[in-house]
Amino acid sequence: MSSIDRRDFLKLVGAGGVGTGAGFMLRESIKHPTQHLIPYVIPPEEFSPGIATWYNTVCSMCSAGCGISVRTREGRAKKIEGNPAHPVSQGRLCVRGQAGLHTLYNPDRLTGPLLRAGEGKPGELIPITWDEGISQLAERLNVLRDDGQGNRICFLSKGVRGHLAELFELFVDQLGSSRLLHYDFAHPQTLYAAIDRLFGETHLPYYDLKNTRFLLSFGADYLGSWISPVHHGLGFGHSRQGRDGIRGRFVQIEPRMSLSGAAADEWIAANPGTEGILALGIGNYIVSQGGYQGSDREEWAASLAAYSVESVATQTGVPAATIARLAETFADTQPSLAIGGGAAGNYSNGVDTLVAVNALNYLVGNLGREGGLVFNPEPVVGRGANASQATYSTMLDLAQDARQGEIEILILNQTNPVFTLPEAAEFREALAEIPLIVSLSSFMDETTSMADLILPSHTYLESWGDDFPEPGVGFSVGAISQPVVSPLYDTRATGDIILGLARELGLTDALPWSDMEEYLQESWQGIYARGSTEAEGFEAFWTDVLKAGVWGETTRRVAPASVNASVIESVGVEAPVFSGSSDNYPFIFHPYLSNTLNDGRDANLPWMQEVPDPLTSVVYGSWVELNPTTASEMGLTEGDVVEVESPHGKVAAPVYVYPAIMPNVIAMPIGQGHDEYGRYANGRGVNPIQILSPQMESETGGLAWASTRVRLTPTGQRIDLVKTGGVSRDLGREIIQTTESDTDGGETASLHSIPITVIPT
Amino acid sequence: MSFINDFLASWREYRRPGYYEKFDYAWTMSIDLDRCTGCEACVTACQAENNLPIVGEDEFAKGREMQWIRIERYWEGEYPNVKLGFIPMLCQHCDAAPCETVCPVSATYHNQDGLNAQIYNRCIGTRSCAVYCPYEVRYFNYNNHHWDAPLDEQLNPDVSVREKGVMEKCTFCIQRIRQAKDQAKDDGRRRVRDGEVQPACVQTCPAEALVFGDRNDAESQVSQSMNHPRAYHVLEELNTDPSVVYLKKVGSNAG
Repeated sequence: MSSIDRRDFLKLVGAGGVGTGAGFMLRESIKHPTQHLIPYVIPPEEFSPGIATWYNTVCSMCSAGCGISVRTREGRAKKIEGNPAHPVSQGRLCVRGQAGLHTLYNPDRLTGPLLRAGEGKPGELIPITWDEGISQLAERLNVLRDDGQGNRICFLSKGVRGHLAELFELFVDQLGSSRLLHYDFAHPQTLYAAIDRLFGETHLPYYDLKNTRFLLSFGADYLGSWISPVHHGLGFGHSRQGRDGIRGRFVQIEPRMSLSGAAADEWIAANPGTEGILALGIGNYIVSQGGYQGSDREEWAASLAAYSVESVATQTGVPAATIARLAETFADTQPSLAIGGGAAGNYSNGVDTLVAVNALNYLVGNLGREGGLVFNPEPVVGRGANASQATYSTMLDLAQDARQGEIEILILNQTNPVFTLPEAAEFREALAEIPLIVSLSSFMDETTSMADLILPSHTYLESWGDDFPEPGVGFSVGAISQPVVSPLYDTRATGDIILGLARELGLTDALPWSDMEEYLQESWQGIYARGSTEAEGFEAFWTDVLKAGVWGETTRRVAPASVNASVIESVGVEAPVFSGSSDNYPFIFHPYLSNTLNDGRDANLPWMQEVPDPLTSVVYGSWVELNPTTASEMGLTEGDVVEVESPHGKVAAPVYVYPAIMPNVIAMPIGQGHDEYGRYANGRGVNPIQILSPQMESETGGLAWASTRVRLTPTGQRIDLVKTGGVSRDLGREIIQTTESDTDGGETASLHSIPITVIPT
Repeated sequence: MSFINDFLASWREYRRPGYYEKFDYAWTMSIDLDRCTGCEACVTACQAENNLPIVGEDEFAKGREMQWIRIERYWEGEYPNVKLGFIPMLCQHCDAAPCETVCPVSATYHNQDGLNAQIYNRCIGTRSCAVYCPYEVRYFNYNNHHWDAPLDEQLNPDVSVREKGVMEKCTFCIQRIRQAKDQAKDDGRRRVRDGEVQPACVQTCPAEALVFGDRNDAESQVSQSMNHPRAYHVLEELNTDPSVVYLKKVGSNAG
């Protein structure tokens, strides 16, 4: 077995109940020759198997930043649940969060550093040691750094927050480079831009769904993929049935019914790209009918004058009576809330649209109040999630620089731009021009497969880190991410790789820490110094935060009272520009983020492949959603394979006849279509991102991923879609029963909610 | 004929409405359809907790998926006035369960907590129970399942891995119920408190649509749900007396 003795083993596995942190235990274990938990065929004397230990940490499956509790037994993670003390997740978790264990125990993980042998890209990857990997990379970095050519190094990461983001900044700065980029396909950069223009806020506000009574959502699939689905789910449930005598109503405006559209009381299909015009029509009605009496009423009336209900009805295809009804309900039902995102923020007019949507909150006085839009305090750490985010145009610039030989080293951290950028960006070709590509990814993926050196990171369940959810919940929240199991393989935490490189490069003045844990401990001294804790001494504070899995301050900011007159003047939404002529390409293409596969990053998790898509019940593949009328006009039925062709490429997938999509729109889920992402993902379906036009949102330069036109060509082939759904109609069985009475019988089930208490300043 | 009389007397007792009142606990789940968003978190939570296998695309296509809880979806109306309703469907733990009476080897039975339980090593795989179940929530192991290493490290040691030829179904996470009862006993308490035990699906539900508890406890949340004006049972006309209570969705499902 090993030289580890019984007492140390007990420390390793914990003694039951909530653990004080695997980190403490791992630190103990590092004193011993072994760093691994060893499966005990014969349990040590007096050891009783069967007692679970729970560790609180942070979920990294998306950027919501939910607190989680992981149940471990005998040193193995068994189950992830929400951390009840964390205000974002409040004990709950979504389908992707549940599947985090399949990231940890994925059979396709990279198990150690790899180096591309020989010259040229098709060379074989051979295993090397960490020392070799770190020193080789450091040597290459050092040459450029010494030469003052640090800017030929680019660090491209997925969106990270907290102290890891700070560490990246320090490191890249020390290299003498200004090329630190975060890239996520679904980053809501247009929303950041809209909030900045309208309210002068550089961080997203908190939308208080929980206490609202009427929600107008313009394209934001808040229950499925938008920003913080678990927290929105909590808010939705509470708003619906958690309050005595009050039932929140939800309206969803989008061309194709999403999960949130299905949950809503009313689903309205407006012409794609006119969501902002519809919002302004609602605004016009509110102002012109005297629903807004603020001092800047005249300015609003002037800038909204062009959006009379009748003209908006023509442009959007939404009847004038519906617009008037929505406007009246929105103004009269207080508190109400308007949110926008998803496709609505990703047409050519994305920022203008989201400005229009959020302006509605201003017009009816939703700012800063319960059930409305609450401004978040400044980030506790760093410059926030938007500061380093690359837009599509930034990525094009990067590709251009790479082609011109200006990038010599590209370090990738867990991001897969080859998969999440359209073919039109020619990013794969640009990467081929970079002499040294280093990937810190835990998995082989389409981008990592082009790397010359792979230094694989731990998964989030094996690493130290921290996270400060953005947007928060109206007040500051943070949590420490701690290892819940010992590392499975010869991998290292991303932060430790960076610190190792810094040591090798002699950058210990700027980055003096020996490992991520030490760095975090030192950095959290600053948070301790804010004084918002009752813990006596830093050690006690640190232990408390680890145990609770959350730290927070309930102080809330006062909202700005007015919107600048020049901003009001600028309110207006141009008609959307679509790529491709409507004669050749009659359909508007509506790709959407999969509820289970996200932007494709979860396609390698078998649970996520086998959980049915909520709306169609399809598993394991891609499909093309068509309105029943369109399908019958084209003579297509479910399973007919069609080619979806844009001016920039084509993909083929079977038809799914979807009852809730506009006749001139076709939709496809994003996520499938991998060819280098492990056994569960490879060779399944197609990637709709590939065929998107390189159309950009006019203000931010972000990819306007909802503004491509396509045509359909039947191929004559058929595929039986694999799905659970049989008969999709009730046929009088009354399986789902309904009642007309809104609030009959009072509230149900809120025992498990923890209230979010906000102390007004 | 005393044997037949005895049998009939037992049968009548077994079918007597409300006979579960003498059980230790009467575990019940309520599902508020006005809260349910259809997000499928419960499905994966159940798979993780109960060692449900990944069957693969080919087996899935044959309808052999193993998901003890599933989201059913029903469309109403036509575009543009179209609505989609979700309903989580799992074993209803019927107090007059059709599956129990049909099993030739009594592998499925009613336990002292009112749960419809399955004894895996007694099951001979006739699949009769699945035929009799009106809710279609019993799942048969057509194969021995395999977990690619190291995915097997995730398997929950509190739940057995089932073999080929065995019927299985939702247990209301009986392992969690047992643990809660043991804990209650160790604390010197007599009963499990409301909210102390939650199956994996209930635990994870972001919208808090699912609630679990003991309906013998009049104060419990599920007791209140059962008496809620929106409460109903699916396929009530079959008199299966389910332990899963649904709360009606508010508003017309059709546009």
